[in-house]
Amino acid sequence: MEWLRRECRRLVLLVRRDGAERAMRDEFDYHLTCEIEEHLRRGLTPDEARRRAAIEFGNVEAMKELARDARGTRPAEDLLRDLRYAARVLRANPGYTIASVLTFALGIGAAAAIFSVVYGVLLRPLPYGAPDRLAAVWERNVLTSRDRNVVSIENFEAWRDRAHSFAAMAAVVPTSFTIAGDTPERAVGAEITAGYFRMLGVAPALGREFDPAEERHGLAIVLSDGLWRRRFGGDPGVVGRSLTISGQRYLVVAVMPPWFDPPRFGWLGEQQAWFPFVGTSQKHAWGRFLLVIGRLRDGVTLAQARAEMIAVAAGRERETPSNRNWSAVVFPLAEQISGEAGPALLALLAAVALLLGMAVTNVAMLTLSSMRRRDHEFAVRRAIGASEGRLFRQVLSQSLLVASMATAIGLLAAPAAVRLLRPILPPDLPRAADIRVDAPVLAVSILAAALAALVFGTVAARRGAQGGGGSPLLHTAGGTRASARASGMALVTAEVALALALAVLATLMIRSLAGLKALDLGFDPGGVAIARVALPGDAYPTPDTWVAFFDRFLDRARAVPGVSAAGVISTRPFGGQGPATSVSDPLSPAPPGSAPIVADVRYVDAAALDALRIPLLAGQAFDGRDRPGGPVRALISADLARLLWPGGAVGHRLSVAMHDGITPEVIGVVGSVHLADARTPTGPVVYLADGRFPSSMRDVVVRADAAPASIVPALRSALAGIDATLPLYAVNTMPRVVDLSLASDRFTTVMLSAFGAVSLLLVAVGVFGVFAEDVSRRRKEIGIRLALGARMSTVVRLIVAGAMRRAAAGVAIGAAAALLFARAMAALLFGVAPFDLPSFAMATASVVAVALVATVIPTVQAIRRSPLSALREG
Amino acid sequence: MIVERPNMRERKPDLLQGTLDLLILKALAAGPLHGWAISRRIQQMSRETLTATQGSLYPALYRLEDRGWVSGAEGEAGGRRIRIYRLTAAGRRQLADEIESWRVFAAAINHVITAP
Repeated sequence: MEWLRRECRRLVLLVRRDGAERAMRDEFDYHLTCEIEEHLRRGLTPDEARRRAAIEFGNVEAMKELARDARGTRPAEDLLRDLRYAARVLRANPGYTIASVLTFALGIGAAAAIFSVVYGVLLRPLPYGAPDRLAAVWERNVLTSRDRNVVSIENFEAWRDRAHSFAAMAAVVPTSFTIAGDTPERAVGAEITAGYFRMLGVAPALGREFDPAEERHGLAIVLSDGLWRRRFGGDPGVVGRSLTISGQRYLVVAVMPPWFDPPRFGWLGEQQAWFPFVGTSQKHAWGRFLLVIGRLRDGVTLAQARAEMIAVAAGRERETPSNRNWSAVVFPLAEQISGEAGPALLALLAAVALLLGMAVTNVAMLTLSSMRRRDHEFAVRRAIGASEGRLFRQVLSQSLLVASMATAIGLLAAPAAVRLLRPILPPDLPRAADIRVDAPVLAVSILAAALAALVFGTVAARRGAQGGGGSPLLHTAGGTRASARASGMALVTAEVALALALAVLATLMIRSLAGLKALDLGFDPGGVAIARVALPGDAYPTPDTWVAFFDRFLDRARAVPGVSAAGVISTRPFGGQGPATSVSDPLSPAPPGSAPIVADVRYVDAAALDALRIPLLAGQAFDGRDRPGGPVRALISADLARLLWPGGAVGHRLSVAMHDGITPEVIGVVGSVHLADARTPTGPVVYLADGRFPSSMRDVVVRADAAPASIVPALRSALAGIDATLPLYAVNTMPRVVDLSLASDRFTTVMLSAFGAVSLLLVAVGVFGVFAEDVSRRRKEIGIRLALGARMSTVVRLIVAGAMRRAAAGVAIGAAAALLFARAMAALLFGVAPFDLPSFAMATASVVAVALVATVIPTVQAIRRSPLSALREG
Repeated sequence: MIVERPNMRERKPDLLQGTLDLLILKALAAGPLHGWAISRRIQQMSRETLTATQGSLYPALYRLEDRGWVSGAEGEAGGRRIRIYRLTAAGRRQLADEIESWRVFAAAINHVITAP
């Protein structure tokens, strides 16, 4: 700690510099006085005594310099002096100062804002206890190598009991429920197995976790802070009360703290309340549907946990036939939650880094040209003895001052930039609540700013240190030094390269998004309103009651003016994962061991296909014969038809593993549909009749001639007319759903385009500045050329050709860099290859065009002036 | 403004490098002194053989102060406000160290010059 005390002493000295100087002067004076007195005592005359003392003392100023060096505050004093001097220079050049500070602030502010998003979503530790020990555990289908499959109850329980790598393991499954009251409310939540909150390392703000009895009967609820405040006004007395939920009494046992954000991944969405998970026989029949999270035991690595889980799953595979070809796999929870957002955010981070690089290049250009104006000053300083190192440090401190001001402005503006960003963030971005500009974000931003400042500061400082090389005083009046021009031109190359890389990334994303938008989804979202109805088990206990209800409801919906079709589907397109099953042709079963065809399963009525305009390509649709107990019939997607019966599918029997193995007759073939989202390709789908397999919960799809949102009130009153206790929930319109599914792509595209636009602006300003400067310095040369008979166009061509050579080098470097970036972000691109030639061509054209204009304008302007005046002034 | 300052190495040292530190610390061991008194004390202690000139005394003092071995504070001498230096605890330890290493050094030199 000795060094720290030493620095503190130095700091005190530095602050009280004037006092220290005075003390030194007094000390030296006193010393001299004492010497003189001593000499007088020895009998010298006063004059002689003074003379002798002065000689002995030597050069007082040199002495003082030595003494100052010894104080150990010299470097800091030099820095302070340099900074004061830099401040004077900057005040004297307000144009330069404002332009460079704002440019750099823009780069740093944008970088900090984007980094705060990246940090919040990808890097910030999850808000749970020891979050790096949490992992998501999935089943894995070995045949389809479908990773991250949801888990069956039996397997979860076996894993929890057998896997020693985990200190705790819990399962969670989304649920929805209706809270009774004056305004019945449909809400979403999750069912959790014992010890879930404890495993996450979070505790309720009020109340307790579920007790073992509640774990068994399940009639207890933990409220989220949001639901508690909204529905119960934040009343602490609600804990211990009973609520009527979906027709049963539930005891409120706890309220979670406001900051608690439950892990969301897979089909886990927002959660407003939690219930104990009870493994009823009905749920066992659902098969695989649980999401499993485990906490790794201390000292156990992820690799060890993976290896053990594979062994545990292999044991399960031997025990039960339903586990054949199923293994298990483990992923860190943080990666599980944010993984999908990674590529887009990293692409944005790379883009903003390029933008920062451009800002740095522009400031370096500005600094170089401002230095060129000070050539004479530097030459004089060199001539009177300033060392290169000293000049270097002085110019560097000027750059550091610019960078500090810019960083302060940029970081002060960053929170505002994040506020601007927040509304356009894709709604499905995980952990959006964790995005904020705080200490880690600021620290990294400041580090980046310091690095960037060192880069442009060094470029400028090297130039400053060389200032006045050769025979400086003679040259500064207007000579052109090759090294100075070279560094300016190298910056042009760098700038074009950076801008091109950015422009290519932006163009790729724009083309990719355009492709996604233009894609034929296989259904027509326009005019379709969607909603979900879930019938509570007490009022609607049997399939007959479900069929009766939906028949009545759909009749009323069809009666709404403007409605042309209304039907039901188990999970609407773009509505998340539904069930899937393996299918085959019973007459020619796939050889054992080969990968089975896995098809998505949807339950629909004919009207739903009408409403979605999914075309019937062959055969017929469902009709009144599809009733409970009736024949089992299926429609299949064109993809599946092609796989099994390319010659014509209608009339064949299809073997379906679900429902304990059924063999429905294929009565028709319908068009292939992008079921999950636009990016996911179409695939095999089996449509079973809702009439044959009724359910208490269905998505309702309604096609209207008018704007779909306008019929929603009529649908609500139609529902209320049948049963006022039922909420219509998950209400939306299909165009909006499709639009939302592109939100992430749109966000990335908008951001990259904005960065691209700014980069073109920076290129324009930077190149313009460099060439305006260059041409004005070459006015004499140009004047001579023109006077000797060169044509104006020839001279312009000469200068522009030089610029274009620089730009061409930049294009080459930029294109190579863009290719690397584009390959890294290939996962973001849809229908566009990373080396998409049109994108590269368009980007190159725009960057080169901007650079060309930015060169030609100052060149022509300079040449327009009479050659004679150039010669006279030059 | 940039002032080129004289280079320390160009000056001929009045004393063996490092010895001056020892002398100053020793001079202050008896009690606090101001700058001139330190140089006088060194002169007296060395029986007028060694002189610490101002040119080396003050830089050495400031350096020792920067190291934390002596500390200077405003005091009074001869009716004038002047810096008085005192030995710190670290300075006392340093003095002991320097004396020890000087003894070793002097003995070694002694062996060398008395060698046959």
